[in-house]
Amino acid sequence: MIDGKSKSKINEWLWGWFLVAPAVIGLIILNIIPAIQTFYLSFFKSGDFGRGNIFIGLENYKKLINDSQVWYAVRNTLLYTLFVVPVSVFLAAVIAVLLNKNIKGRGIYRSIYYMPVIATPAAVTMVWRWLYNYHYGLINYVLKQLGLNPVNWIDDPKVALISIAIISIWSTTGYNMVLILAGLQDIPTVYYEASNIDGANAITQFFKITIPLVSPTLFFVITTSVIQCMQVFDVVYMMIDVTRPSYDSTVSLVYLFYNNSFKYLNKGYGSAIVMVLLLIISVITVIQVKLQKRWVNYMG
Amino acid sequence: MKRRVFSAMLSLIFVLTMLAGCGNTSVDKSQSTEPAKTQKNISGEKTTSTAEPVTVTYALWDSNQALGFEKMADEFTEKNPNIKIEIQLNGWSDYWTALDAAASAGTLPDTFWMHSNNFYRYASNEMLKSLDDLIASSDKIDLKNYPEGLVSLYNYNGKQYCIPKDFDTIGLWYNKTMFDEAGLEYPDENWTWDDLYEAAKKLTKPDKSQYGFLAPLHNQEGFYNFIYQNGGTVITPDKKSGYDDPKTIEAMEFYIRFVKEGLSPLIFGDAERAEAMQNGLCAMGFFGSWNLSGFAANEYMAKNFDVTVLPAAPNGGRASIYNGLGYAIAPNTKKLDAAWKWVEYLASEEGQLRQAELGIAISAYKGTADAWVESNKTFNIKCFIDMLDYAVIRPYSNTTAVWEDKVYEELRGAFTGEKTVEQACRDAAAVMNESLAQER
Repeated sequence: MIDGKSKSKINEWLWGWFLVAPAVIGLIILNIIPAIQTFYLSFFKSGDFGRGNIFIGLENYKKLINDSQVWYAVRNTLLYTLFVVPVSVFLAAVIAVLLNKNIKGRGIYRSIYYMPVIATPAAVTMVWRWLYNYHYGLINYVLKQLGLNPVNWIDDPKVALISIAIISIWSTTGYNMVLILAGLQDIPTVYYEASNIDGANAITQFFKITIPLVSPTLFFVITTSVIQCMQVFDVVYMMIDVTRPSYDSTVSLVYLFYNNSFKYLNKGYGSAIVMVLLLIISVITVIQVKLQKRWVNYMG
Repeated sequence: MKRRVFSAMLSLIFVLTMLAGCGNTSVDKSQSTEPAKTQKNISGEKTTSTAEPVTVTYALWDSNQALGFEKMADEFTEKNPNIKIEIQLNGWSDYWTALDAAASAGTLPDTFWMHSNNFYRYASNEMLKSLDDLIASSDKIDLKNYPEGLVSLYNYNGKQYCIPKDFDTIGLWYNKTMFDEAGLEYPDENWTWDDLYEAAKKLTKPDKSQYGFLAPLHNQEGFYNFIYQNGGTVITPDKKSGYDDPKTIEAMEFYIRFVKEGLSPLIFGDAERAEAMQNGLCAMGFFGSWNLSGFAANEYMAKNFDVTVLPAAPNGGRASIYNGLGYAIAPNTKKLDAAWKWVEYLASEEGQLRQAELGIAISAYKGTADAWVESNKTFNIKCFIDMLDYAVIRPYSNTTAVWEDKVYEELRGAFTGEKTVEQACRDAAAVMNESLAQER
């Protein structure tokens, strides 16, 4: 009897591992091993074409601490995240709540808001670069018509980071909207019906029912958005060259990693930079997970 | 019902996303089918060298030139029905990232372009096939037929790794219509910096709708020319930075003066330089000969523009930065016979003449320049060949790509006015020397 029971337990356990194996193997090969290799590589001065690496201990990290560009990149990445995440999540939440209502043509609206997500970042950025163009761009044209001064969206160090953030908000809001919409649809309508009987208005319903019950989704959206924002690369890479005056005020950690690893062919130093990013993301995520107890409500 | 519309739209979106993914991987797919073909080829090679059809990959970075090479590849396949050429096109910076990754993984394209900026790295790490034996046994290739400077550019430790493909110089492009409007005579070979400056002043409109000259933050198609005209240098023979040379600083001061005095717009991005000409923002600008097909294809430029030699420095110093590309073969290619046949054709008199006739680039083969001049009647392009007499090879060292970027970062401040030109040049010299010191 006892044998049979433990046997079935082992059986269950094996099945469990068997079913998650593809995901686990994928993670190990594609994420965990490269991450460990990157960590390892950060202690080397890399040779050409991945050969002849020389161990230099903590030299890359010492160099990194004295490299002002790394600190610019940390500042830019954090500023960018601080700007994009709240605006994007707020907009996504508002649009999701509106599109959860029974309005005409909401399927079309939902699709329209989702459209930017499926466009490749390179194509999106190319279009925005034209919109932002100082001499011929549509935005500056409109500004001129309104009698305002044109803005140097790409080259002005004070503006460029915001220009990039706007593109990102535009292209990620739809994705967050779909997630929040899914969360909203999970809320049973009985809560709203019951509160209607109790005489609650729409605003009370939003804060007392909608927000608490959608908070697990919101938590997920915020956490993943932060991680994604910290890894911003494509938009900056497409829009800002090293030659631009706004380079120092927009360069992100991943862009700096790319430039050092693949352009200046110093993969060891690039690895050290990306380790800084890993550390920052880990700290922020741990804080977020700790803080979730204060505001996230899990049903049941 | 509405829900159904939504889900239908969503599934459409997913299908589109997947299609987009497919589009990206189509290049990879053709690569992944290669090993099969390759193996067939190896077994085939033992009996007859070209019995089995072979696909030779050919990587390059210039979309303008790619069009011409598609034509040449078709013509080549017509004569060699068993060899197909697959052109792999990437933008300039992506090209080097991809080539570096491919070299590390041992999957270099069979044939590709090489540039002086990166030649040393590839040659010193045995990432290029030494062509000496192949050249020696070929009746079509003799290195004496190419400019000596370019042949030695692609020679490392006495071994020849690339055959010169082309050369390029920089010319002064000017908007004839704007010159006519201002009542000025077109620039010619007698022009000096002062003429350029005076003309730029007259061509600049006060409302900033038109600038006289384009002085972008760009080295080869910009300040390098001024530096060498003035007798300065970017890199000394013993591999030190030349940015702190007084002659260099003087040239930079003259160059940046156009920006400071509002005679040139402040332009940094690479693509925006050509846009500034094509949209009638600037009346004059320095651009290399490789832009020819792109400029000729632009209606506005074809109608309004012409080109001439660069103006000389006040002391009479002349220079035009010149550089040339090389044809290279991967050292580990499994289709060496076919790859060599393709490169041999490209580098031979016949191929180089065809390259010139099609107006792809100024062919490196001696005596083919006239064919290139004949290829384009839109502009007076003979000037690019005239400048070869006093052309200066594009400054390079073993790690050119690294210090060029660092120098840009330092010089930027001089254009925006954050630092003086002299300070920017000294900073540039400092980072460049630091970078050069790390070269092995």
